[in-house]
Parts: sequence; C-alpha cells; structure tokens
Amino acid sequence: MKQDQSKKSDNIQQAKTSVSPVREDSKVAYKKRIGVYVCHCGGNISDYVDVEKVRQVVENEEGVFLAKTTMFACADSNQKEMVEDIVTQKLDGVVVASCSPKLHLLTFRAVTERAGLNKYNYVHANIREQVSWAHSDNKQGATEKAIRIVRSAIAKVRRSQALEPIKVEAVRTVAVIGAGVAGMKAAVKLAKSGVLVYLIEREFFVGGRVAQWDNLCISDETGKELITRLYDDILSHKNITLFTGAEVVEKSGSIGNFSLKVKITPRYIRMQCNKGELQKAIDVCPVEVPDKFNFNITKRKAIYHNYPGEYPQLPAIDIENCTRCGECEKVCSSIDFNQKPEYLDIRAGSILLATGFDPYEPKKGEFGYGEIDNVVTLPQFKRIVHYCNGDKLQFKGRNIHNIAYIYCVGSRQVNGENKYCSRYCCTSNIYTAIDAKKRFKDINNFHFNRGIRTYGKQEILYDESSRLGDIYLQSFEDNPPEVKVVDGKTVVSINDILTQDKKLEVEADLVVLVTGMVPRKDNSIGNLLKVPRGRDKFFNEIHMKLRPVETVIDGITIAGAGQGPKNIVESMTSALAAATKSFTIVASGELALEPTIAKVSKDDCEWCGKCDDACPYDAFTPKEIDGKTVAVVNKSVCKGCGMCLPVCPSNAIQLTGLSDDEVESMIDALMEN
Amino acid sequence: MARINPGFTKALKRFGAFDVNACYNCGNCTAVCSLSDENNSFPRKMVRLSVLGLEGELKNSLEPWLCYYCGECSTTCPRQAEPGELMMSLRRWLTAQYDWTGLSGLFYRSLTAVITAFILLATGVLWFASAQNFNPDRLLHTGHYFEMLAIAGVFVFILLPNIIRMWMLTVYSRHEKIPVKKYFKTFGELFVHMFTQKRTLGCDKSKTRWTEHLILVFSYLSLLFTTVFLDWFGTNSKSIIALGYIESAAIFIVTILFIVARMKKSTEVSKHSHPSDWMFVVWLSLLGATAFVVRLFIDLDMLENNIWIYIVHLIILVQWALIIVPFGKWTHFLYRSFAMWFLKVAE
Repeated sequence: MKQDQSKKSDNIQQAKTSVSPVREDSKVAYKKRIGVYVCHCGGNISDYVDVEKVRQVVENEEGVFLAKTTMFACADSNQKEMVEDIVTQKLDGVVVASCSPKLHLLTFRAVTERAGLNKYNYVHANIREQVSWAHSDNKQGATEKAIRIVRSAIAKVRRSQALEPIKVEAVRTVAVIGAGVAGMKAAVKLAKSGVLVYLIEREFFVGGRVAQWDNLCISDETGKELITRLYDDILSHKNITLFTGAEVVEKSGSIGNFSLKVKITPRYIRMQCNKGELQKAIDVCPVEVPDKFNFNITKRKAIYHNYPGEYPQLPAIDIENCTRCGECEKVCSSIDFNQKPEYLDIRAGSILLATGFDPYEPKKGEFGYGEIDNVVTLPQFKRIVHYCNGDKLQFKGRNIHNIAYIYCVGSRQVNGENKYCSRYCCTSNIYTAIDAKKRFKDINNFHFNRGIRTYGKQEILYDESSRLGDIYLQSFEDNPPEVKVVDGKTVVSINDILTQDKKLEVEADLVVLVTGMVPRKDNSIGNLLKVPRGRDKFFNEIHMKLRPVETVIDGITIAGAGQGPKNIVESMTSALAAATKSFTIVASGELALEPTIAKVSKDDCEWCGKCDDACPYDAFTPKEIDGKTVAVVNKSVCKGCGMCLPVCPSNAIQLTGLSDDEVESMIDALMEN
Repeated sequence: MARINPGFTKALKRFGAFDVNACYNCGNCTAVCSLSDENNSFPRKMVRLSVLGLEGELKNSLEPWLCYYCGECSTTCPRQAEPGELMMSLRRWLTAQYDWTGLSGLFYRSLTAVITAFILLATGVLWFASAQNFNPDRLLHTGHYFEMLAIAGVFVFILLPNIIRMWMLTVYSRHEKIPVKKYFKTFGELFVHMFTQKRTLGCDKSKTRWTEHLILVFSYLSLLFTTVFLDWFGTNSKSIIALGYIESAAIFIVTILFIVARMKKSTEVSKHSHPSDWMFVVWLSLLGATAFVVRLFIDLDMLENNIWIYIVHLIILVQWALIIVPFGKWTHFLYRSFAMWFLKVAE
C-alpha cells in the first residue's frame, strides 16, 4: 500500500516535469517564490485528505518557495503569519487550499493586499466542498484529487499578473425617473448629498399615486400633504432640475456616463400666466372626460389640474381630448397652441428608476365588475368616501349602508398571473372602511377576505375595525365569494370557513373589490433601459436581500412600487437605499471597475460580430482602427463572463485573469499523471 | 343560506355580553374548554353565530346550556372578548326567547321594569295584609296557600309552555322524528342533572362550587317541601322544625358566600354580575334569612307582636315566586337539566 502511494507520487513528479516546460516559452515572467498553505479546516478537510502529504507533494512544484499546513487558514493567527511570510520571504504568489472561494476568496485576497502584494497574485484552491466533503468515502482518492487541484492553482498563480482596477469617469449627476414619493424622496436625498439630479416625470404633475390618496393610515396625513412637503424640499434644492410631461426616449452609454434623450410634451400654456384668466379658461372649456386621477369617479375638463394646489401649479391641456374649439383662448391670453415638443440631451452617471405601479383593473365580470353598477374598486371607493359630504354615504344617488369588501382581487392568484400579495390593500381598505363608518351614518362593513394582512403596526386598524363591529368572513382561493343580483339587489355570498363553511349572504349597497398592485402597463422605460423584470413583471433586483436596489444593468438602481408592491413607508426606505447606491456610483467622479474583463487583440480581430451576438451585456461595438474594423470592449459594461471567447473564430479575445495560457496550464496540471 | 345581521350584538349587549366583536376566531376558548366536544362545540361557534347575528341558529342551539361557566375561556381569550360572559348572556337571551309571555326579555333588558314589578308586588302584599287587618293567622294561612298555588300556577302556565317551546326549537325543528321510546329511555338524564349538577364537576378544578350548588339545590327544594307540604310555620313536630331551620340556614349561608364572591369578584364566574344575578342571590338569601327568623319568632312567641317580619318574608316570597322563578335566573336551573335530556334524546 505504502509502496503504491510512493510510486504514484513519483509518477506525478515525473509527469509534472514533462508538462511544465511546454508552456515555459510564454513571455510571461513566471512566479518563483510562491507560498502554498494547505488547511485542515479543523478536521473538515484533514479527516479525509492527507493534508501533510499534499503539502509534501506540492512543496516540490516549480516556483513553490514554501508550503505549510495550517489548522485554520482563515484564523487571525494564520492570516498574520501569511502576511509575515509574504513580507519577509518576499513571496510573489500565494495559494490557499481550503474551502469554497465563495467563503474566503476575498479574505485571502485581503491578506495579500495587507502584505503589499497585488490581490490578483492570490489563487484559491477548493479542497473542502470539491474534495473532502465530496469524497469522504475514498481518502486516498481524495488526497490525490486535492494534490491535482492545488497543483492547478499553483500553475495559475505562476502565470498570474498584478492587475489594477479599471478607472472610468463618472458624471456626478443622477437621473431619477418618476416623480412619485419614491422618486421625489430619492431626488432630495441625492441633492442633499451634493450631486446634480434630473427628476423626470411623464405626467404634467408630480406626486404619482400618493397624490391620489387623501387620508393615509396611520398618521392621518393626506397623500397630498406628503407630496407638498416633498415638493417644497425639491424647490429648496437648486441642484434638482424637475421635468414634467417628460419622457426618456433614447438611452446610450453605460455606468458612469449614460446619455438620455428626454422628450418634453408641451402644456400649451405659457409659464408666465395670469391665474385668474386660467381659471376662466377651465370654466369655459366645454370638453368633459372621465377623470383618471379620480379613477373615473368624477369628470374633468380638457384643460385641467388634478386637484387645487397641485404641483407644479400650472395647469395643462390634455391635447388628445381637446377639440381646439378655441373657447379658452378667448378668455385667457396664456394659452399657446403653438408650443412644440422639445428634446433635451442629458448625461448622468447613474439612473434611478422609480416608475411605480398601476392599480389592478378587474376583468369585466370579475365579481360583477363592469356589469353590476355598484361594484367598484378600492381606489374608486377611496375617492367616493373622500368626495362624499354630509352624514350619509352616497353613490350614484343612492344611500349606502351595507358595504361588502372582497379582498385579494388581482393578488394572491394561485392559478393566475399575480401570485404575490400586494401588501398595501388590506391596510388601505380597512382604514377607509373605518373612516366611512365613523364619518357616515349606519354603515355596516362586511369583509370577505382570504386572511387579513394588516401586518406590523397596521394591526391596530384590524383591531379597531373589528371592535367597531365590522364583520370578517373568510374563504379559500378555490371557493371565492359570489356577487349576484337577486330581485334588483346586489347580494354577496360566501361559504364562510369561520362558520363551518356555512353559506352566508349579505345584501350589499356597494361592493368594493380590494384590488392590488400590478406593474405599469406601459413598460417602455424598462424596455429602453433593458432592466429585467421578474416573473411577476415588476423590475428585478440582483439579490432580494443582499443587493435589493441594484439591477443587473450596472448604474441603474430601482426604488418604490415599480420593484414590487410596497406601501409608502417601504417605498421611502427603498428610495433612500437606491439614492445612496446611485450616489456611491457617481460620488467620486470616478469608478473603479473589476479588471477581469475581455480584451480584444487588434491584430487578430476581423470584425464578424459573433462576439456582439454572444454578449449578454452589449459590451462590444465595432470600431475602425488603423483602417480595419475591430471589436472594441466597453470596459464599464463588460462583466468578464467569457461568453464571447468560444465564439470568436480568430481567437482574438482573451479574458484578463483567465487567459488561455492560464486556463490551459491549469487543465494540464489537473491532467498530469 | 343565512343573512347576516350585524345589529344583533348590540341587542345581545343588553343581556350582558361584552366586546364580542373583538373576537378574531382563534378558537382558544374552545380549545381550553373542558366541556366542549366534537358534536357540541363552544364557545367560539356561539361567539361566531352571535357576531354574525344568526338568531335562528342560536335559538336552535343547546350549547349555551352545556356551559357551566368555569371562565377559563375568558381568562385565556387574547382579545378580552369575554366568551364566558357571552355564553351567560346567550342563556339569558334564550330564556327570553323560550318565554311566551315576553316578560323574561323585558326584565333582562330593563332594570326599571323589574323594580317596578317588585314595587307593585310589594304594594299588593301590603294592601292585602292591611285588608286582613294584619291578622297573623290569616296571613300565615294565606301565605301557605299562596305557595302551593304559585308553584302549580307558575309551572303550568309559564314553565311548562316555555319548556315545550324550548323543545320545539332545539329538538323538534332540528331533528327527524324521534321515537317516543327514546324520550323515556333517556328521561333519567333530566333528574340526574337536575339534582346532582354533575356536569359542573367536569368544569372546575376544585369541587367547592359544585358542593355549594348541591347544598343550595337540596336545601332549597327541601325547604320548599318542608314549608309547603310539611307546613313548617304551622307544625309542632320538633324534627320538622329543626329540619326547616337547617335548610333555611344553609340557603342563607351558601348565598352569602355567593354574594361575597360576587362583591370581591374573586372568581371568573363572579366577575361580571348582571342585575338578574344579584337579584337571584340576594332574594334567595333574604328568603332563607326571613324564613328562619319567622320560624324563630314563632318559636319565641314573638310573631303576634311582630307580624311585620312575616310580611317582609311574604313580600320576598311573592317577588321570588312570581318574578325570579318564572322569568329570572331560576329558570336556568330548569333549562340546563332539560338541555341535558334533550341532548341525549337527539343523540
């Protein structure tokens, strides 16, 4: 047995000397003073791998200056020893054979940096996950495999080069798209931090969805008050430029230096206007269209603002519905139908996307929506309650007493598209139901739910509502409530699981469908910026927990309900997080990027475009250099994934840090016998 | 299909219920209840029916009578919805539903009505006594006859029809035709529960409450027997006289214990006291006390000169027999026992 082993290691020794010289002809100056550390990992590795044997074998590898074993390579004491070794022994390359690089690659890179050695001269060998844990049934085989893996790491580190991060200029400007609460808050935060902000809003007025709400739980502030405060903040910062009626129509560039073309739709009203005349113009406008701002509960004119005191305070003309009758021009000198769309080019180092959500629009016939005239959605109900004066709640001229709320409409669809919970609707609905009950006489609330989710502090609303006598009836997804008209009365029925599945019914004067959030129907901005969307069609972050506001498009961050259902509190938090992330991108005016990216050899490249097709990040562009078209890599976009390498017919592309020479030498080392 | 009536809890609150709407259906109450079982599940189910205002379902339910108010549900309720007190309120409400005269409901809902009725009866007794020139013999004689008449009258005209109504609601309307044989077979249940109240034992940890109740029931029923059939106030038999003393003293002592508990709110069952609860214990206590004193005065030959004590006793007795027994808490004793029988019948 012992003999066999020693024979084998002899074989290995021979094989090594026969392979190595093949690659010695490369121009790279190979490392000669490599330090190798083989880790026991307590017993995680050494119980199955003969760590000492590994050390003995690799000690004799070409270029290895010292080889040690250690109980815990990651321990403080060992790290200090490594630093000392690198400094005193003048090591020029380091290998640690231990656990997965996911765990400790960065740890040991940091060790080399502390010792004054470039971190790319460190190579990690995984002999725990890939060896000891995987081959605990075969100790001898495990030891042999460990030797090969360490040897291949040594082969790589011999050829490794010191690399410096790529520096690119970063424009100290952030473009915030969407001036709802999230976008406004992010803009203010960024401006306070000292960068320039372009706040771009597609509508003519700021505030997004929150401006549409009146009283909000739990503070009882109105959405409009919140918007006013944020707007005042925006006005107080000179380094925020707000564009309304503005849409990003073109984008180029990459992190640090995006170029955006912004189209500004005219309001057809001059900035310097006479307010009294404008009010007259609104009064005389003969056009009346359903007011989308109030979810079609009310009507508005073709010249409009959504509510008194809205920002910016200048009204706008809805040119699609305007008949050009000219009535307004007769009474107001500020109307100007000659205004034309403008196009602006702006540059930004980072883009913060806060484009918000759409309320779910029930399908025709979904719980009677669109067919029974007293079935409305939650946003509509909120407007009805807001606009109703007096002590009786009325809708379409009828007094409302019994209100049936059907929850989770458009959310938590087990078999449908929207599998998610919209998070805000339970709270918002119960809050409004309480408001209605307190303000109007003889209101009975019936909540047909699938489990109430007034999570966190909002639980007090549920408590208040049930103590006020609201009745909660519950069913499962597969047996939802039914809305029917019986003898001219709207009746909602349910098999209530809280009452032994008993069929119960309520004659409802108003049925409220508690609708959730869906992604914006118009995803033109997402398509333009190529921000990926998740299965739920909301914008996707890189990692829910660890990188919650970054997207895979470097330099573009996301905030607010465009990323997924959020309430205002959560939107604010995400806005501040995204603002901070965008700020770190542009703050220093310079970006340090990973140097391990693709490199094109001008001599070998004959532009064929295959690399461009293979690249998932659009990093390649053809460029004419010295009378020849070659591929050029956008350093700030390339992520070094290597997709372009195998498709290049002339092998003109090399990956820095993983060159053919390095990879082939590693393969050779693994294959040695 | 049942229509929901959210106004019902408001009505129920007048019978003593608390914040039933606070219930969020966790079912803790049912889980901790030692008397609730698979076929007769309470209190949560009863709370739910009350919140929804399903009066029909409630009227058909025997569950409220199966609860002996140990109070565990109320102490463990995370929402302080007081399910124990809700069960108590439902018993009161059911009493009102069974009662064909409607007086039960009126007296439970309105304290003014009760006090008015009490005053009217007291005035009546005083008027009658003065009409008899406060003659002790005549008064004692009439009192004795009144007792017999009241028992028979109340039973025939009030209690029996009400029990039939209870049977209609809880057995007849809910179940397929039940053979008469089964009624006879299970008849024993009625007496077992009426005289032993053994179900209480499944509810409390200590036997104190059950013992107290047992003493009270036996003392009360035997005092009734002693006064009505053995003519306690008229007899010369020493043993009968002694028996009456023991019985009336026992009633007084046990009810005083109850009163003290209600004042101290020492147990869950004594925490919440509806006027009808006070009336029941106080009048029963007074009944025992005055009966004892009346007989004592007779034995000391003092009654002739102190006929007022008998008049007080008579007033208490009349109020007890004509209000509290037919329309008040006394009926619970009856309905509980019948509920156990009906339950067995319908099984």
